[in-house]
Amino acid sequence: MKRRLQPGVIIAYVILGLVLLYTITPFLWMIFTSLKTDQEAVAIPPTLWPQEPTIEAYIQILIWGNFPIWFLNSTIISLGTALFSTMIGSFAGYGFSRFGFRGRATLIGIILASQMLPGVLLVGPYFKMLSTVGLYNTYPGLILAFTAITLPFSTWMLKGFIDSVPEELDDAAKIDGCTPLGAYLKVILPLIAPGMVATVIFAFLLAWGDLLWVLVLTSGEKMTTVTLGLTRLVTQFRIIWPQLMAGSMIGALPPLILYLLLQNYLVEGMTAGAVKE
Amino acid sequence: MPALLMLVLVLGFPIVVAVVNSLSLPDGGWTLENYAKLPQDSRFRNSLVVTFIFVGGTVLLHLIVGFIIALALNASVKGKRFFRVVAILPWAVPDVISGLMWRFMYNPTAGIINRVLLSLGVINTYVEWLGDSDLALPSVIFADVWRGYPFVMLILLAGLQAIPGEQYEAAKVDGASTIQEFRHITIPNMRGMILIAVALDTIWQFRRFGLVFNMTAGGPGNVTEILSLYVYKQYFRYFNFEYAAAIAIVLAIIMLLLSLPYVRAMVRRL
Repeated sequence: MKRRLQPGVIIAYVILGLVLLYTITPFLWMIFTSLKTDQEAVAIPPTLWPQEPTIEAYIQILIWGNFPIWFLNSTIISLGTALFSTMIGSFAGYGFSRFGFRGRATLIGIILASQMLPGVLLVGPYFKMLSTVGLYNTYPGLILAFTAITLPFSTWMLKGFIDSVPEELDDAAKIDGCTPLGAYLKVILPLIAPGMVATVIFAFLLAWGDLLWVLVLTSGEKMTTVTLGLTRLVTQFRIIWPQLMAGSMIGALPPLILYLLLQNYLVEGMTAGAVKE
Repeated sequence: MPALLMLVLVLGFPIVVAVVNSLSLPDGGWTLENYAKLPQDSRFRNSLVVTFIFVGGTVLLHLIVGFIIALALNASVKGKRFFRVVAILPWAVPDVISGLMWRFMYNPTAGIINRVLLSLGVINTYVEWLGDSDLALPSVIFADVWRGYPFVMLILLAGLQAIPGEQYEAAKVDGASTIQEFRHITIPNMRGMILIAVALDTIWQFRRFGLVFNMTAGGPGNVTEILSLYVYKQYFRYFNFEYAAAIAIVLAIIMLLLSLPYVRAMVRRL
């Protein structure tokens, strides 16, 4: 768009200023609260910023609490899910993109439709299935269950990226004696690397932020993730807000950092793959 | 194709299990009773209404807020990149955590919302945002607007940037006003993107769980009990596995029907 009328630009600045306030306030409130003492956090009327800033809440959850275990669990499960579902999704996406087989359109439709399935439809069966095969409350069980949620997205996104690689390239590789798998590994994989990164992060974020599945498929502290741990803290009779906000702060950091570092990949991946025009 | 096999294993099989469950009696044997019970279950009916208000309200507000911000970001302003990054930040926060952040902001005595509104004189007593049965659902919706508008905004921004600049220049030559430009160029060009954004957002909102779970857990009473929460409670609080499966299937059917036009359009493009 070329230069718009001056009043339009002024309105735009006003809107963006309000957006800044609207977006940042909850973050500031979280950070300020995490730096308050327990008493100050519930003082009436509340103070805006901490009068005697302290990192006591962070020390409490990081050193005396189980937060490090939760964080480790979240990391293992999310990373496992992201890698597993991207690997499977890229093979499936390759198949959908390159091989014409009977019922292909129907299958793609089913994959798309399966993104529309509510998680609560799957948690019950997964609870039963994983309990039966002894994977309840284990990393592999959780990773498998999360993959059910992330795989349709991963497949769809990666199919979009593979579609954008000209087919002549893998034909050329096949003439040079490559198998389809060889063509995939040597030609396509390097070209869709940015797309893979986007897909990995997308799946990671989905798994990191989940509550429903860990609520259902784990028990006890051993497998508790950040989201589940924080939820337990908030359902306790006495909520200690500075600790809860400190935990929220640290729990939100990995997604925030990933997003800030890789926002271009993410936006591109989302608009090119998931939201393909 | 092992990859397809994997898809069937992680998705197809559990769906079959869910369907079979929903058609079973607790002690075995087939029945339609789980579905027949639904219309009489007032808590289910309430949950259905709450879900539609929640999804309808949040999707509409995401669209309005997202569109306004996308338009502002598309204007010739300085610091676009900075504003874009800031505007997307809430989206990076897990909904479980944004629920916690807002729950404390809504806190009647120690929260910032009452504090600001009191000092501005908008209210003159502590308001129980999440504890009042009339205010709880709007409050949850309002919190979700903060969490959810960036996704819609991103899609719309991509759409705005794809509109050819010549169209605006031609309109300018013809002496069109900004409002006319918006009505006759922006809106028609954006129709497809708006549909995609609304379709995807609707699906996400039907699945929303963690935000509401951590803000109100469905309360007070059941005024914020969206269907995903109700299914969860039927499963793991009351242990009615068969009945819960039936509700989940109904929810899935609603979502599939709503997304059918979108899925069909996507498949046709292949």
